[in-house]
Amino acid sequence: MKLLSKLTLFTTVSKLAILLVFVAAIPYLVDRVAFNNTNYQLRQQEEKVFSNIRDNGIDYYLEGDSTYASYTMLKEEYISIASAELDHLPDTMMTSQRIIENDTLNYRILSRTFQFEGKNYNLEIARTISSIGQYNRPLQRIALYVLAGLVLLTLVADLLYTRILLKPLSAIIRIRIRDNRFPFKKLREPVRTSTSDFRYLDDSLINLMQQVNDDFEREREFTSNASHELMTPIGILQSKMENLLLLHEGDEALQEKLIGQMKTLNRLKKIVNSLMLISRIDNEQYRRDDTVLPGRLLQEVAGELEHRLEQQDIQLAIHLSSGKRISGMNQDLLFQLFHNLLNNAIRYNTPGGRISITDSQTSNGYQLSIGDTGIGIAAADLPLIFNRFKKTSNGSEEGNGLGLSIVKSIADYLNLRIEVESTPGKGSQFHVLFPDV
Amino acid sequence: MRTLIIEDQRSMALEMEEFLTRSGYLCELAFTGKQAEKLMEGNAYDFILLDLGLPDKDGLEVLEQAKKVCPAASYIILTARGKLEDRIRGLDLGADDYLPKPFSLLELQSRMQAISRRKSGLRENIVSIGDFTVNLNLRTVSFNEGEIDLSKKEFDLLSYMLLHRNRPMTRMQLGEHIWGSFSDDNYDSNYIDVHIKNIRKKMTVFAACDWLQTIRGVGYKIKS
Repeated sequence: MKLLSKLTLFTTVSKLAILLVFVAAIPYLVDRVAFNNTNYQLRQQEEKVFSNIRDNGIDYYLEGDSTYASYTMLKEEYISIASAELDHLPDTMMTSQRIIENDTLNYRILSRTFQFEGKNYNLEIARTISSIGQYNRPLQRIALYVLAGLVLLTLVADLLYTRILLKPLSAIIRIRIRDNRFPFKKLREPVRTSTSDFRYLDDSLINLMQQVNDDFEREREFTSNASHELMTPIGILQSKMENLLLLHEGDEALQEKLIGQMKTLNRLKKIVNSLMLISRIDNEQYRRDDTVLPGRLLQEVAGELEHRLEQQDIQLAIHLSSGKRISGMNQDLLFQLFHNLLNNAIRYNTPGGRISITDSQTSNGYQLSIGDTGIGIAAADLPLIFNRFKKTSNGSEEGNGLGLSIVKSIADYLNLRIEVESTPGKGSQFHVLFPDV
Repeated sequence: MRTLIIEDQRSMALEMEEFLTRSGYLCELAFTGKQAEKLMEGNAYDFILLDLGLPDKDGLEVLEQAKKVCPAASYIILTARGKLEDRIRGLDLGADDYLPKPFSLLELQSRMQAISRRKSGLRENIVSIGDFTVNLNLRTVSFNEGEIDLSKKEFDLLSYMLLHRNRPMTRMQLGEHIWGSFSDDNYDSNYIDVHIKNIRKKMTVFAACDWLQTIRGVGYKIKS
């Protein structure tokens, strides 16, 4: 999941969760507030009553009677003072029922027992529960609206800001990674951002790519120079040996030794030749404007390797759709690519085995596949087979391990994709995809 | 055939001289561009073998200059640079052939022979071996008017050996000729044997091929 999606999801879910918790808590909270408020008001009124009694005497209320009671029109509140026989009536705040003029109502009641001039009285100040709760519902609604509005507002603000904040990151991913292929030719200008983390990331990526480019450049130069420099002494040695061979024509023992040396030199020469080819491809010394007929090309490659097929007794079947033409290619490089693939299919085949070359039009482009019935490649070796000088553990003595890296260099240069499937003991399939332009 | 070898690597030049002298060429050596220009002014050569990597001058400039002084000579460019542009420019400037280093001396000689053949203008270039007749220009092998059908590689191999008859040739030298400098990582040059076997099979149907000899441990030789 993308960072932006994750953040969006988290922000939304967390805000909704807060909203839900609050919605669930509002009735309880409002009730609590209303009750506490009522208790407080009752106590205030109690204070007032006592202050009146202190200033004006108990008769201010009783007016000679033994009890006093007063209530509002709808009996929402009442106050009563009565002489109490019992002096242990509790001072309390309670919720209880009272019957007032035949109406049974629920009240919140402050009840207090007090002595005045040697007599016990009981004071009750009360308010109906329904009047306490009368503002609860509208209050709850308003609280809910306000909260929902705030949550929505912050949500939008958060999401907008996250989007703006993460914009440089997606630019970095797009420009530096997704749309960028090795060799990183276009290092473009830095991505614009005021976030130091992204600045650091972008700078580091640019540096890294520059470094990779530099290393590649150095390696390319080295390979090119080294192989050219090596060719001269190899040439001298080869000539010396050829002359020696002619000079000592009758001497079998010496000739055998010379042939041994020539074989070793030949091996060295082939390695240097392969390296030179790779460096020429990497130096882009080949044109890319040939139009190639894959059927004819593969027939030529097969012709080149006929002797090897014959010697190993391998059946080659080429089944290609006719008339296919591929433009923007280099005939020689493509020849070399298929030569190496077919050569491997022969080399790692079993005597009497089969090789089949087929093609297909996939959704991504035209694909040529070379399948063999050979020894196959272990899954662990698959990612390594295109590395230079890599020989698989079950590889034969033959080969310098450059064949497939040449294939890879050519494929990269001609923008082809190579895929390999292999089952050890059963054989391998190499697919070469020519993407549709 | 007078041949000028322009090559700054002395030991390379000496080996080429030794080989070509034995094959009947008259060789002179130049190790620098200056030496070469001096020699070319006073002498007429049939062949000029030119290494492009000279210490004092650009090889291609030397070639341009040489074409003015020795227009009749045949030029073969030898180079380890192996750049495509060098090759194209060299041939544009009038070189007759181009041989990338390292090369086999046999290959060098056969290129020189091919140029001679071309320049002599002979339509018919016929070599006979045993009871067979080989037409190098038309690329045919025949026996009493009957033609023998050899593959391209088989013919290349046979004609290369014919050009170097009476000389032992290693499988590597033969392989290098028919496969060229094309990058190939097959070290085992015994694949030549398959071709030789086929050549023998196709030709012995008509007549004995004991002139095509196997030299144990070395390779093959055509004896005549």
